[in-house]
Amino acid sequence: MAVAAIHTARLSKDYGLGRGLFELDLQVSQQEVFGFLGPNGAGKSTTIRLLMGLVRPTAGSAHIFGLDCIRDYVEVKKKVGYVPGEMPQFGSLRGSEVVAYLGGMRGGADVRLVRGLAERFNLDLSRRYREYSSGNKQKLGIVLAFMHRPQLLILDEPTSGLDPLIQQEFYALLNETREGGATIFLSSHILSEVERACDRVGIVRAGRLVRIADLDELHRIRFHHVEIEFATGARVPLDAIKAAAGVEDVVAEDHRVACTVKGSFEPLLHAIRDAKVTNLVSHEPSLEEIFLEYYRDAPRALPS
Amino acid sequence: MVASLFALRLGRWGIAGFGGISFLITLLNAAGFYQVAGHTPAERQAFARSIDVLAANFSVIVPPPIRADTVGGYVQFRAYGALAIAFAIWALASASGAARGDEERGIVQAVLAAGTSRLGLIASRAGAFVIGATIAALAGSAGVLVGVASGGESISAAAALEAALALVALAVCCYSLTLVICQLTSARGATPVAGAVLLALFLINSLSRTFDWLIPWRPLTPFHYFEQSSPLVPDGSLDVRATLVLVAMAIAASALAAIAFRYRDVGSPLLSLPTPSRPASYEVARSLAWRIPVVRELYEQRIAILVWTVGLATLGAIFVVLTKAIVDPLLTIPGLARYFSAFIHGDVYPSFLGFIWLGFTQLLMAGFAVTQVARWSAQDSDGRLEQVLSSPVSRAGVVIERVVVLAVEALIIAAVSGFAVWTEAHYQSIDLDRGRLAAAALLLVPFTLVFGVIGALLASRIPRATVGVLGILVFASYLTTQLAPIFRLPTWVQDASAFKLYGQPLTAGVDQTGLVIMIVIVMAGVVASTLVMERRDIGA
Repeated sequence: MAVAAIHTARLSKDYGLGRGLFELDLQVSQQEVFGFLGPNGAGKSTTIRLLMGLVRPTAGSAHIFGLDCIRDYVEVKKKVGYVPGEMPQFGSLRGSEVVAYLGGMRGGADVRLVRGLAERFNLDLSRRYREYSSGNKQKLGIVLAFMHRPQLLILDEPTSGLDPLIQQEFYALLNETREGGATIFLSSHILSEVERACDRVGIVRAGRLVRIADLDELHRIRFHHVEIEFATGARVPLDAIKAAAGVEDVVAEDHRVACTVKGSFEPLLHAIRDAKVTNLVSHEPSLEEIFLEYYRDAPRALPS
Repeated sequence: MVASLFALRLGRWGIAGFGGISFLITLLNAAGFYQVAGHTPAERQAFARSIDVLAANFSVIVPPPIRADTVGGYVQFRAYGALAIAFAIWALASASGAARGDEERGIVQAVLAAGTSRLGLIASRAGAFVIGATIAALAGSAGVLVGVASGGESISAAAALEAALALVALAVCCYSLTLVICQLTSARGATPVAGAVLLALFLINSLSRTFDWLIPWRPLTPFHYFEQSSPLVPDGSLDVRATLVLVAMAIAASALAAIAFRYRDVGSPLLSLPTPSRPASYEVARSLAWRIPVVRELYEQRIAILVWTVGLATLGAIFVVLTKAIVDPLLTIPGLARYFSAFIHGDVYPSFLGFIWLGFTQLLMAGFAVTQVARWSAQDSDGRLEQVLSSPVSRAGVVIERVVVLAVEALIIAAVSGFAVWTEAHYQSIDLDRGRLAAAALLLVPFTLVFGVIGALLASRIPRATVGVLGILVFASYLTTQLAPIFRLPTWVQDASAFKLYGQPLTAGVDQTGLVIMIVIVMAGVVASTLVMERRDIGA
């Protein structure tokens, strides 16, 4: 049986006052894309820093490909590509020099691969780092993480600051990398992102892993706030909307209807198929709203 | 009001630091006067004549003293001459940080987004600096009063306050001039350009004491107006007109800065040349230097190393010229020997050169170590260390590479400086022992490393406070050696200073004990820093 790409056992980092990460038991298989989902301050970055050997655990252990993340941290880094939660400062170095500098620490950057990545993300490496926008800094972080074809990618909110087109390109790169045999551990606070990119998702809240969900369960978890506006004077199919599967919390006001949709949109769209709809807006709720909804029927399961 | 308080909070460490420095400099010079000037009128007259001769050779840097036979005249000359330079440097750093540094950090955008007007921002920053400079200058006045009281004499409190007022006017003027320059230059060039302008203004004033053709230009420089006041000197006073000119210059410059700020884009200078468009490049930098440990860091810092090397080499050569110019006339004045006997032992030329060149160079090398430690500390706080450690490099390797880089840099600077001194000494017909000169230069390496490894240890434990703590340590260490002979401090106090461990290699050869202690400190520091680095959390 292949060794797990990531294995943690009761991994804890206690910063006091209830902050940190507590008793994380996690196993990520090789070639899996694992999402680590949680609101801000939930412990995602702490987990990642523990895996990278940047902070020492208060208790428990973490292994990457069977190597201890603290004791064997140099060997671990040979197998890992990393995008930090916040890109560092490289002052007046040019992008090309940052790549050469950090690539040099790995024995030299793969020039062709870097060129391909930079072209793909339209990242001008001749510009100085201080001149880069936050999106370009993030692109450089992605180039640095992927430039040595690592076996494991640990990505801390890698799409923050990227525009939607570049995000699509990044998701495509993730797929190609996974197909190339790499494992990916990706943290995010956006449900739709992990739903799109990941095989499984660990949901962390207040420093504790509260659930590991597969894609089906994610679909069940997610819901949308929907607002529908009908043409003035037109019939509003309120009964049909209320009767549609997965539609809840229906509130009607004049020719506007607001509701919550869990799971598929199909029943709602079917209910309004004959009405004159002038506008339909769907909002993805915050992760915290999703948690509250998820635990509404089982409040004792909600971690403190 | 809120913006001013915020600006004061941003500058609180500068206020505390320069307040402390002002207090110490004035206190120690006032108290030191009674140790070196003698007690009878005749002794003090002789002392004043010696100081006059000495100052004549330093007129390029400081104005000639007035009534150096009095504590007021002596403190005005020695303390306020130095404080004028120190406050100008503070104004430069503070204004360029407020105008462009905070812009780079996003603070300016945040303040403007909160509804503060651009004029309000400039006014609040300038106002906060006025308050800060006043606090620091008043600390200097307090030092004067306490120091004079320690000698059983008294000095007018009004005079001490006037001295503070003149100092604040100069500092605020330099601050405002820097603010204007920062609006016109790129963020990267703001500090160097403003520094060059202030240096030019300083030199116009000081060199005009030697070169008459510069006299017409003197009204342009704030240092000229500052020197018109000598409130601490008996029968001296604050030159109200000159001080008002300084205030008017400050107001005019601040207004110009506000107008320029209003019309420029945040993040860009008011005037900039259009950048020619060029195709994007997707290529990795090809220099081999990026792949070699130690070399990559030296390569990245090549400009800074060049500046330090050329600067210290030039300074070394200048000190040789000064040594010749000063010692020759000094040898004809028997009365001066007593003043220097506290500092100089042995052959006069190498002793004097060792005192002024190595004394100053030691301080600069310690300052160089502080800049390197500040760099390490910044790498920690801005996430670069985290990024580096995501590569397969050991933490011990990071510490060792940093120390080796510092050693190589110190070696380059010291070797070139030593060579420059040797060449100029040969030209000036000053006989220097080649071996001792080489030893003196090379000893600067372990000396620099002592502060470097202490800084490395501090950076591993208290990264945010490292620079401040190390700066205080350097300053205290330096003051100990400078003042211990004057105040006859116990030997163990002097021995605790790294400056003392360096010894007097130019006249007495290498102090083996001091060298061994420095090497032990460096080795212990590297081991301790490595152990702490291995166990500490990064980026937490």
